[in-house]
Amino acid sequence: MFGLIGHSSSFAQAQEKARDLGLEEMAEADLLSWCSAPPQLLETFEVTSKTGKTIQGTYIDSCFVPEMLSRFKTATRKVQNAMELAQKNGINVTALGGFTSIIFENYDLSKFQQIRNTTLEWERFTTGNTHTAWVICQQVETNAPALGIDLSKAKVAVVGATGDIGSAVCRWLAQKTQVGELLLVARQQQRLLDLQTSLGGGRILSLEEALPEADVVVWVASLPQTLTIDHSTLRKPCLMIDGGYPKNLDAKVAGDGVHVLKGGIVEFWQDIGWQMMEVAEMENPKRQLFACFAEAMLLEFEGIHTNFSWGRNNISLANMELIGNASLRHGFRAIALDSARSRSDNSGLELAAA
Amino acid sequence: MATLEATDLPTESGSTGLPDFTSASYKDAYSRINAIVIEGEQEAHDNYMSIGTLLPDQADELTKLARMELKHMKGFTACANNLGVEADMAFAKEFFAPLHDNFKNALAAGKVPTCLLIQALLIEAFAISAYHIYIPVADPFARKITEGVVKDEYTHLNYGEVWLKANLESCREELEQANRDNLPLIRRMLDQVASDAAVLHMDKEDLIEDFLIAYQEALTEIGFSTREIARMAAAALVG
Repeated sequence: MFGLIGHSSSFAQAQEKARDLGLEEMAEADLLSWCSAPPQLLETFEVTSKTGKTIQGTYIDSCFVPEMLSRFKTATRKVQNAMELAQKNGINVTALGGFTSIIFENYDLSKFQQIRNTTLEWERFTTGNTHTAWVICQQVETNAPALGIDLSKAKVAVVGATGDIGSAVCRWLAQKTQVGELLLVARQQQRLLDLQTSLGGGRILSLEEALPEADVVVWVASLPQTLTIDHSTLRKPCLMIDGGYPKNLDAKVAGDGVHVLKGGIVEFWQDIGWQMMEVAEMENPKRQLFACFAEAMLLEFEGIHTNFSWGRNNISLANMELIGNASLRHGFRAIALDSARSRSDNSGLELAAA
Repeated sequence: MATLEATDLPTESGSTGLPDFTSASYKDAYSRINAIVIEGEQEAHDNYMSIGTLLPDQADELTKLARMELKHMKGFTACANNLGVEADMAFAKEFFAPLHDNFKNALAAGKVPTCLLIQALLIEAFAISAYHIYIPVADPFARKITEGVVKDEYTHLNYGEVWLKANLESCREELEQANRDNLPLIRRMLDQVASDAAVLHMDKEDLIEDFLIAYQEALTEIGFSTREIARMAAAALVG
């Protein structure tokens, strides 16, 4: 059994979902009441791989909503209680979705292993970041050429380069592809310098400096609400992979030669009999899901019951290849721009794990 | 999931240290919280003895549970003495009155499932969650006593679960009604005690959520489906 810990993308959406589930009291309750709502195991379902193997999954809603982000104790409690619920249900591997892994990482929740009378077993959880990083790299490699961008000459900016996913993307692009130049953007200078050293290259720039130079921009940092991007200064064509959470880049810059693709999203080869992905506002919620969730499925398909993605900057290229190969074998593929999708469909081309 | 450093999360803040156990405000709040705990243990004793009259073949087991509650009560009385606090028992009796009345009525009507839901599920889950949250912020003396008590309370919760599980099909509707009638009372009780609990560095949000987790776990054990449980627990969220 694998598990997914997710949450609604807004309080209003959470209320609407509660109403759909017949939880009228919750639909009527205010945000403060939701702050005390315990996690709910909302559904169990089956997933069948392209190989024919069938596994069981379960979806846990942490009852967190992004409006709670400013409340440290509430946010951490939601994550810890959802993890405890997953473990108590004996789930082998559970992916932390949405803000869940961000809260876990930023608040360093690995310090708090004891939840009431339960000792959390970290090996039962994964951030899913290895698969997410691999998927984002595939999205760069497939979609840039579809827009006429020659990756061997292209400048690829990674915004959030020193983060868990960002640094893995940088390593992959530097070592597994022929990208023209990597532009490294992040807030902490020392981490950037360390990354540059470990990569043996890449140019450190501010966001403002990097954007006008970049043919491809990989965003793996959540964007501040206040961020504005001057469309006129961007290169055309420009491929932007929105790998942050929440995904709010599209409205800011898309159009007129700037192509925005939702990063770290995969599509399964057939419909999955679940309802809950609707809360993630996927275009095709029966088949599309976050790559981090898919990682939990892949680990269960493969019988890898360890915390495959855990901690910061532990993602190895070998593990990216391993999870990437599993991803293709079991019937996932990274979502693509329409132009890239039609090319790929016509040629019957499958994305290859390097 | 995609993470990262530009996410602006607030930094940790708030009352994470221990309260000043000797301050007048602490002792004042403690006089009511401690009284609730003492009264709760006393009522638990009385309730288990009463349930034993409805289930004569289990009276021995119930008497054993009831005795444990009296032992707890003595432990918590010692906690107040240790801090030089006199428990406000009049407040506590009033605090429990609505729930106590519902129990009394169910007992008179011979409704075992309702009695068990009130005592063995709601009150025990309430106690377990409150004790869990109290332990890290308790004075050293009370901490030791409370840690011992929590272990016992799980066995009490378990007693109710086992009986209700075995009899679920015949009492499902009664339990759902009892949940509707009594869960909002627990919510009101938690609201009523919130400001005193805050002085003890116990957060109301934590109390409610942890209570609901313990209660939901009990309902799961009894055999309710996840959707039914979500629906039943939701009754606690509207005050």
